Amino acid sequence: MINILIKKELSLYFRNLNNIFLPLIFFFLIISIFPLVLGPEKTLFNKIIPGVIWITAILTTLLTSNNFFKEDFNAGIIETYLTSDVSIEIVLFIRIIVCWIFTCLPIVIFIPIVSILFDITFQSSIVILLTLVIGTPILISIGIFGSALTLGLAKNNILTPVIIIPFYIPVLIFSASAIQSVSAGLPYDMQIYILASLLTLVLPTMPYLLKYTLEISINN
Amino acid sequence: MNKIEISVNSATCYKNNNLIFEDINIELKNGDFMLIIGPNGCGKTTLIKSLCGIQKLEFGNILINNLDIHSKNSEYIENIIYLGHKNSLNNDLSVQENLEYLSVFDSSVGSNNFDKIKNAMDYFNIYKYKDYMISDLSEGNRKRTSLARLVLSKKKIWLLDEPLSFLDNNILDSFVSLIKRHQANDGIVIASTHYDFSKSISNVKYLKMETK
Amino acid sequence: MNISKIANLKFFYTKTQRISIYLSFSTFVLFCIGIYWGLFIAPEDYLQGNSYRIMYVHVPAAWLSLQTYMIMAVTAFIALVWKIKIMEIISIQCAPIGAFFTIIALVTGMIWGKPTWGTYWVWDARLTSELILLFLYIGVIVLYSSFVDKRQAIKITSLLSIIGLINIPIIHYSVEWWNTLHQGPTVTKFDKPSAHITMLLPLLYMFIVFNLYFLAVMIQRIRLGIYIREKNSKWMEDLSND
Repeated sequence: MINILIKKELSLYFRNLNNIFLPLIFFFLIISIFPLVLGPEKTLFNKIIPGVIWITAILTTLLTSNNFFKEDFNAGIIETYLTSDVSIEIVLFIRIIVCWIFTCLPIVIFIPIVSILFDITFQSSIVILLTLVIGTPILISIGIFGSALTLGLAKNNILTPVIIIPFYIPVLIFSASAIQSVSAGLPYDMQIYILASLLTLVLPTMPYLLKYTLEISINN
Repeated sequence: MNKIEISVNSATCYKNNNLIFEDINIELKNGDFMLIIGPNGCGKTTLIKSLCGIQKLEFGNILINNLDIHSKNSEYIENIIYLGHKNSLNNDLSVQENLEYLSVFDSSVGSNNFDKIKNAMDYFNIYKYKDYMISDLSEGNRKRTSLARLVLSKKKIWLLDEPLSFLDNNILDSFVSLIKRHQANDGIVIASTHYDFSKSISNVKYLKMETK
Repeated sequence: MNISKIANLKFFYTKTQRISIYLSFSTFVLFCIGIYWGLFIAPEDYLQGNSYRIMYVHVPAAWLSLQTYMIMAVTAFIALVWKIKIMEIISIQCAPIGAFFTIIALVTGMIWGKPTWGTYWVWDARLTSELILLFLYIGVIVLYSSFVDKRQAIKITSLLSIIGLINIPIIHYSVEWWNTLHQGPTVTKFDKPSAHITMLLPLLYMFIVFNLYFLAVMIQRIRLGIYIREKNSKWMEDLSND
């Protein structure tokens, strides 16, 4: 059963390669706007780069998870989920993970290039990578939860980000603070532990929460 | 065989403070076929959704073997298969992949079901399209793909919302014989329709609904 | 079972008309007394002078903004689990009241900030947390208002406010963390005035008055919510015809 689910998700992403490359291109596009707006001084970027990377990551995850369930909802697949006798939580969990692999993992892989562009030290880029690996699954899960909340609405373009972004704040603060700590030569393990515990809190509970939200969203 | 009795008692449903249907009473047992007939907007779809448990009722209840379908130990969800008026098909997957994927959500199909899926596609004459993407198919063939799930599934209660839309007459006969076979196997079929196709089917019950 | 719930709404609606008027009036009188107590009777702070007196509005408003969120989430939980209509109404009516308290806390905080910090806005932990709380309230309000079907809206927003309640301590902790990391100019602690009993007593009194105000507005809003929900029902028509 699980292999069919994974196969389906993978073939959906691979059939439309835009799904993989567009978030990455979007990420680089936003990242390269910052020097154009703020001027090319390297000292300035050393200070603001954690914020820049994380704001860009937030925008990317918001845009990719915004209409996560919309297509399935319009096709009636959500109804099939909810009238099924197999555990939908597994299906949702796999979908969250695959969504992360195809939208955030490319960004994580390309962080070395960002490091070169902005002259980030090796140590800092390792920490940036670490925070992205732990933090972005949380962002994706919360974003998908937001898309489930607004599923019953015909139009939800900017509503989902408005209700979801306050929930992003803790992840944002601890990630940015970890990156700043390492560039200031301070210990950063505390922030990483907190991020990891947030991840272990969010990821296992999210499928159950999503199922419940979908049940409410579909009952209109 | 496991005996199944469905009873709907004075079911009433509101959406956004509008009455959709009220005081619906249904009694069904193994081998029954119920047609829900009525004009557009009379609440057929909502009633079918209530019967699958994804639409909540305002008053009344739906019991299966005297157990409410929303109660914890109800075996309802193990017994139903729901085909909505949306086909529940993924546009970017082929016919065969869609059926494979959908059979994941139906534990009665079982695993290693390649032959079963082939049979199901054969039954509705869509085997020749098995590698076509759903987005490349006509509406009628999409509906056939969706109906092929009924051939695969061994569930006892079929809940079909407008199963006939976009179907041509020669496939109607095989659909009717599929229903007869299901009735002979002690199954229950509940279908909403605007066209009465029940002429050659026995044990038919009618539920006529009117616009409020 | 459902009939008893409707009766419950009807019971509330008919019984609270008088109470809400008395409550509103007495809250107003008690508020005026509290303001007089805070502004004129309470002693002057030897460090901050008279500017600390805005605390008598700011601190109760800040407490109430959090307390209202808690009430909203708890009633939302009760509404979702036990499907009690009046809890649904209470929960959603908490959002605008809470947002109002949050705005009051923010504005008075800014007014206090001008003489104390020399600027209206400092990104200090308390003000920032309060601002995020305002965003959470706004999220609940806009989510509720975007749904046409208000019964679905109430369930969806209930879910959001419950998740929000789980999130508030995490947000608060992270903002504190962020603030200690970026400690700017030395920030005077706002809620720790040189705690003299003659200063704290009016504060406690104002807290109680704010709670009464919350209760008075809440009852009015519940009545409005019941009216909107039940205006087509028979008992409401009978009531208006009398």
